[in-house]
Amino acid sequence: MDKKNGFLKRFRLPAGLFFVALILPLVVTEFWVHVFTEIIILGLFASAFNLIFGYMGQLSFGQAAYYGIGAYTTGLLMVKLQWPLIACLPASMITAGLGALILGYFCVKLRGIYFAILTMAFGQLVFFIIFQWYSFTGGDNGLQGINPPVWLFKANAYYYFSLAVVTVGMILLYFITESPFGYTMKAIRDNTERTEFIGINVQRYMLINFVISGMFCGLAGALWGPFNRSVAPDLCSWQNSGHPVFMAVMGGPYHFLGPMIGSVIFTFLNAFVTGFTEYWPLVSGLVMIIVVLLMPGGLFGIIKSKGYFETKAVVLEGNNPGDTGDKKK
Amino acid sequence: MNDDVILKTDHLSKSFFKYQVLTDVNYQLNRGQIAAIIGPNGAGKSTFFNLVTGYHAVSGGNVYFRGKEITNWARHKIARIGITRAFQVSNIYPKLTTYENVRQSILAQQKRTLNFFTPAERLAKNETLSLLETTGLSGFRNTEAGILSQGDKKKLELALALASKPDLLLLDEPTAGMSSEETHETMQLVKRLNKDIGLSILFTEHDISVIFGYAQKLSVLHQGVLVAEGTPEEVRQNKEAQACYLGEEI
Ligand SMILES: Nc1ncnc2c1ncn2[C@@H]1O[C@H](COP(=O)(O)OP(=O)(O)OP(=O)(O)O)[C@@H](O)[C@H]1O
Ligand SMILES: [Mg+2]
Repeated sequence: MDKKNGFLKRFRLPAGLFFVALILPLVVTEFWVHVFTEIIILGLFASAFNLIFGYMGQLSFGQAAYYGIGAYTTGLLMVKLQWPLIACLPASMITAGLGALILGYFCVKLRGIYFAILTMAFGQLVFFIIFQWYSFTGGDNGLQGINPPVWLFKANAYYYFSLAVVTVGMILLYFITESPFGYTMKAIRDNTERTEFIGINVQRYMLINFVISGMFCGLAGALWGPFNRSVAPDLCSWQNSGHPVFMAVMGGPYHFLGPMIGSVIFTFLNAFVTGFTEYWPLVSGLVMIIVVLLMPGGLFGIIKSKGYFETKAVVLEGNNPGDTGDKKK
Repeated sequence: MNDDVILKTDHLSKSFFKYQVLTDVNYQLNRGQIAAIIGPNGAGKSTFFNLVTGYHAVSGGNVYFRGKEITNWARHKIARIGITRAFQVSNIYPKLTTYENVRQSILAQQKRTLNFFTPAERLAKNETLSLLETTGLSGFRNTEAGILSQGDKKKLELALALASKPDLLLLDEPTAGMSSEETHETMQLVKRLNKDIGLSILFTEHDISVIFGYAQKLSVLHQGVLVAEGTPEEVRQNKEAQACYLGEEI
C-alpha cells in the first residue's frame, strides 16, 4: 500500500501536466498552440541541458550547438534528401551526440568557469561553421522549406506529434536520472574527488553524460525546424545557449521537471510580453533578477521549502546534532 | 618480490614546491597485517597516504601494490585495483542520504554505474543495508550525510571505503571526532575485518590507546623521514621515537 502511495505521489505532478498538455490545445486559439509547441520543445532542450547543470553540477553555455546540429540535420535531410521526419529524429540525435562527443572530450577536462567558457567557445565555433558554410547550410539565409508531412501540417497535429516525442524523451531522461548512472552524476556534483576514490573514472562519465545531453538537445532541435518551417544559424548562438540556463534556474535545476516548468514561464512570458512591448529582454532580465534574489533553487525550490511537496525524510534517531564530536588531538 | 608483501614503497618522496615533506620513505606492509604510521602533526602521514592512493603526484620513488608498480596511477585505477581509503577530514557526499552514499560506492564496486535504465533504488538493497548495519549507521539511513555528527561522518567514511571491497584499507585517523565508546566499536570492527576476511590495514592515529591497542606494527614518521619501525614494544623502547614525541609518553 505504502509503495503504491509513494508511486502515486511521485507521478501526480507529471501526470497532471501531461493531462493539461493534452487538452489545452482544444480550448485555445492557434497562436497559443504554437506557443505551447514551443514550450514543450524548449522544455525538452532545457531538461537535456539540465543533465549537465542540475545533475552533474557543471554549467554548459554552449548546448545550443547540439540543438542547432540536430535542427540542421533534420532540416538538411528533409530538404535535400526528402527523408521522412520520423527517420530524421534519431539521425539528429546521432549527429548531435557525435558533435558532443568530439567537443565534450575537451570540455570535461575542465571544471567550473573554465568548463562554462570552453562550452561557450565551442558553441560559437559551431555557430560560425554553420554561418560560413554557405554552400551546405545556406549560411545566414538559413534553410527554408522544411515542411512537415501533410498529416502534421496543422498546428494541433504538429503539437500532438511534438508532445509524443517530448514525452518519450522526458521519460527516457527521467529513467537515466534515477539510474545508477544518474546517481553517479549526482555523486560527481556533490563530491567529484570522492567519486574518483570509489573507483569511478569521473572524466569518462562526464563525457558520457555530455553526449547524452547533446543527443537530447539534438532531438529537441530536430523538432524545431519542421515546426518553424526553417532553421537559421542563430539557433546555435550563445544567446540561444542562455535560454535553457534561464529556464533551469527559473524552474529549479534540482527537480526533474524544473527546466520544463521554467520553459513554461519563460516562453509564455516571451509570447505574452512581446505582444504589447518591445522590451522583452528587459522583462526577462527583471524576472531573472527576481528569481535569483528571491527564490534560489527556482520555483521548485520555494515550493519545496514551503513543504508543499514532500522532501526526503530526515530522521535523526539517536543523534545529537549539537555534538560535533570534534576531539582535541 | 615476496608474495606476502601487499604494499611497498621505494624511496618515496614528496615536495610541495621547495618544501620537502616526505623523504626517501621505504615502507613495507605484509598481507593481513594491521599497521600504524604515527608521528606528530605535519610529519607527513596523510601525505604518505595521498601518494599511495594517487591523490598527489609522487615527486620521487615508487609505489608497489602486490608487486605491481602503481606509481602515479589515476585515482580510480588505484581504487579499482584494491586500495581504498578513509579520509582524515571526512570526504563524503553531503547532499545525498547516508544510504545513497553507501549505495553509490557499492554500485561502483559492482560495476553497475553504467546502468541507465534500472532505478537505482531497486539495486544493491541488501548489501547497502548490511554495510550500514556493520558500520553502525542504520539509524541514519535517510539522513542527509552533510548533517551527520563528526563521528558518524567518520563511520560513513569507513563505510564508503569498505564498500569498495579493498584488499588494502588505508584509514587516516579513523576515530577522530568519535566518543571513546565509538572509537572502541570502530576499531573492533576494523580488527574483525582484518581477522575474518584478512583485510590488510594501515592507519594513522594520534590516540595512544588506539595505536598500542590495535597495531601489530608501528612506523614512526618525523619531518617526512621514517625514523623507527617495529612492534609496539620495540617502538616504545626506541630512543628516536621517544625524541619525536618529546615530553609525550609513548
Ligand atoms: N597540498 C599541500 N600543499 C602544500 N603543503 C602541504 C600540502 N599537503 C600537506 N602539506 C604539508 O606537508 C606537511 C605534512 O602534512 P601531512 O598532512 O602529511 O601531515 P600529517 O602527518 O598527516 O599531520 P596531521 O597529524 O596533522 O594530520 C605539512 O607541513 C603540511 O603543511
Ligand atoms: Mg594527517
